[in-house]
Amino acid sequence: MIHTCRLSNGLSVIVEEIGHVESAAYDLLVPGGLVCDPDSTIGSSLIYSELVGRGAGDLNSRALSEAFDDEGIRHGEWVGMDRFGFSGSLIASKLPKALELVSLMIQSPRLPEEEIENIQSVLLQDIAALNDNPARRAMVELNKRYYPNPFNRSSLGDAKGIRATDRDRMLELHRQVFGPERAILSIAGKVSAEQVMKEVERLFGGWSGPSVAIPEFGIVSPHEYVHIEVDSAQAQIVLASPSVKFGEEGYYSGKMAVSLLGSSMFGRLFMELREKRGLCYSVYARHGANTAYGTVSAYVGTTPERAQESLDLLVGELCRLKGSVTESELARAKTNMQAALVMGEESPGSRAASNATDWWLLGRVRTLKEINDAVSAVSVESVDAFIAGHPFTPCTILTLGRVPLEVSSSVITRRH
Amino acid sequence: MAADFRKDTLANGLTILGEPNSANASAALGFFVRTGARDETAAEAGVSHFLEHMLFKGTPTRSAIDINLQLGNLGAQANAFTSEENTVYYSAIIPENFSAMQELLSDMMRPLLDPQEFDMEKKVILEEIALYQDRPHFYLFENAFKDFFGAHPAGNSVLGTHDSVSGISRDAMKSYFDRRYSPSNIVLAATGNFSWERFLKDAERLCGQWESFPVERPLVRFGGKHGAKTFRRKNLSHAHAVLVTTGASAQDEERYALSLLAAMLGDSTGSRMYWDLVDKGIADSASVDSDERDGTGCFSAYVSASPDRLEQAISIARDVLSTPLQFSDADLERAKSKIAARIVLDGELPMGRLMSLGMEWTYRNTSTPLAQVLAKVQRVSRRDIESALERFPLTDWSEYRLLPE
Repeated sequence: MIHTCRLSNGLSVIVEEIGHVESAAYDLLVPGGLVCDPDSTIGSSLIYSELVGRGAGDLNSRALSEAFDDEGIRHGEWVGMDRFGFSGSLIASKLPKALELVSLMIQSPRLPEEEIENIQSVLLQDIAALNDNPARRAMVELNKRYYPNPFNRSSLGDAKGIRATDRDRMLELHRQVFGPERAILSIAGKVSAEQVMKEVERLFGGWSGPSVAIPEFGIVSPHEYVHIEVDSAQAQIVLASPSVKFGEEGYYSGKMAVSLLGSSMFGRLFMELREKRGLCYSVYARHGANTAYGTVSAYVGTTPERAQESLDLLVGELCRLKGSVTESELARAKTNMQAALVMGEESPGSRAASNATDWWLLGRVRTLKEINDAVSAVSVESVDAFIAGHPFTPCTILTLGRVPLEVSSSVITRRH
Repeated sequence: MAADFRKDTLANGLTILGEPNSANASAALGFFVRTGARDETAAEAGVSHFLEHMLFKGTPTRSAIDINLQLGNLGAQANAFTSEENTVYYSAIIPENFSAMQELLSDMMRPLLDPQEFDMEKKVILEEIALYQDRPHFYLFENAFKDFFGAHPAGNSVLGTHDSVSGISRDAMKSYFDRRYSPSNIVLAATGNFSWERFLKDAERLCGQWESFPVERPLVRFGGKHGAKTFRRKNLSHAHAVLVTTGASAQDEERYALSLLAAMLGDSTGSRMYWDLVDKGIADSASVDSDERDGTGCFSAYVSASPDRLEQAISIARDVLSTPLQFSDADLERAKSKIAARIVLDGELPMGRLMSLGMEWTYRNTSTPLAQVLAKVQRVSRRDIESALERFPLTDWSEYRLLPE
């Protein structure tokens, strides 16, 4: 059973009661993040999301950490492109304590100056370590070229911006971003909604502050092929092309089209590249979308001498999908999506997160039935119509490895 | 809602375990085979993992594509993994497809090992080996454990090498299968929303005719080693170190005390290594692990840092590790709260519960109710940790580094 309310300060609260579990989970989302960082301090929001856990209210860094650990509360403070997140999972009886600690971090973080340098050091090490992780690096490099500024920023921030961040920037970020107006607190698990609502009102009712506006999403750059030379055992091949936005007409058909290609072991990419030809261990396609933009991305990692064949097949499968989808493979993809929904219903962590995301994107929570109906309504024709409106090519392709590959100009250039 | 534990054994020795719970929306089931890298000869290095892949590549009645498509049709979240000691095939599944999934998984356990599929899948395995070559952290762990355990099979590589996998023939794999995949060496377990009676009946029908034979795994406790090695790689941006010494086995009662000690020393939050290394910005990652194996075990610490700070990080890690009893009663209680919450949270969903059920039986031939596990954790005292340290003093560390060339 899902309960929602909005506090007078604007904070949206969602509580889902789940009877047969012992645990609970929370997710608090606040607009802000890497796309909101000033050009001179890109990555300062990463420092903030670390610093916010290093003391709040009367608790210094160690006392705050111990307060979570004393109750066995698994917690994480994180930042994405357009939001800060405070997440946790715990034995349900510990929820009041968890909410109290989160409210302290939100409303009265200490943001201790002496910790900033230590956090900078760790984040700079993470940036350096990206060179040792070719698959992740390929995705960061692709995003940098594919997305418009500032949505093309690395999830690790930028070294210059991290070095340039000082405590004043942290205080400014707290003042400018941390308001309740568009924030969402989602809780799920073995809880009483009535009690939780009271607790939330008591702890967050007095929270005030402005909300930050997320920048407009610009236009995706003209598509290109980029190669980065790296002496790695495997070549990394990644590509991206525009797709439907979340909630837009054709959203579920788009998600399904990508699922047919490569979300699992029976997807066409896995079957054609791995099962039939043994070209790779890892190959997939994904659909990512929010209210501002949607993206289809695909990946394959393979040894250099098989990279060209892998890329050609990957692109070939994308181009071949329209007009070739069969009823049975569509039925299979639907069954999978629907079974995954049922299984996700069981976990307080996934319920809290998915309710928060729905509210973030739609201002409401989708019911299981609504999603099921929408998935059921997808047809071979609607998948074809989606591809006609959002062909997978032209796309942006990036390879990382020993040698550049041949990419036909028709794959990266729109045909007229 | 507490689930009932059920157990039976087929005439051929296959152990059947279940914890049905109708309150769950889904179920999970899996085969736990007590075999892995440590059960391979040098010439077979990597065969357990390669065989795990081959179980998805066809049976006398299903082609590889049939298996994939049926997994899709059932909406199964199925996968498998191979470790040094276990090979596990498992799936989460919606209740109405449970029996069909049991039938499919049981069929997969008697693979065809088709020569063409074998050659094709070998290429996939070689790609997987190449993939891990590009992950320095993995490279160091594999080589450190290999050196640490030396001739003891606990240090065998799960993936094997490019050469060893290239050299494995279909017949060699078949003979490994015929040596290890006896029903007496396998546990079939299920948890969540399913019927125990039907599960057991189907198990008898589907697996009852599997031929049984004796399976050996010599259990020799590894005596320890004092070694040090530095590995170097080109173009490396980050440096890593692993410290290893002997620790409790999966059967030793000291495992509770050592797990709590590992949490106090090197958990990702609030541990001594966290405060001394990560909080201070010296290392970007630091952890301690009590790695309990079958009849033996090790205790390890890991740090990663920029190359110019690695020595400082190792020296601080050594200081922490050399004073394991430097903790307060509050520290111990905090570690217990963390571990207890993890046990409850991990055991809540059918898949989490399946893994602990299957693994516990594989290692200890028993099933401990969650409440009893929690009670054992809560009872650990300072004195228990002291006596665990008398048996496993954590003093003789082997030290491994991975540095840029």
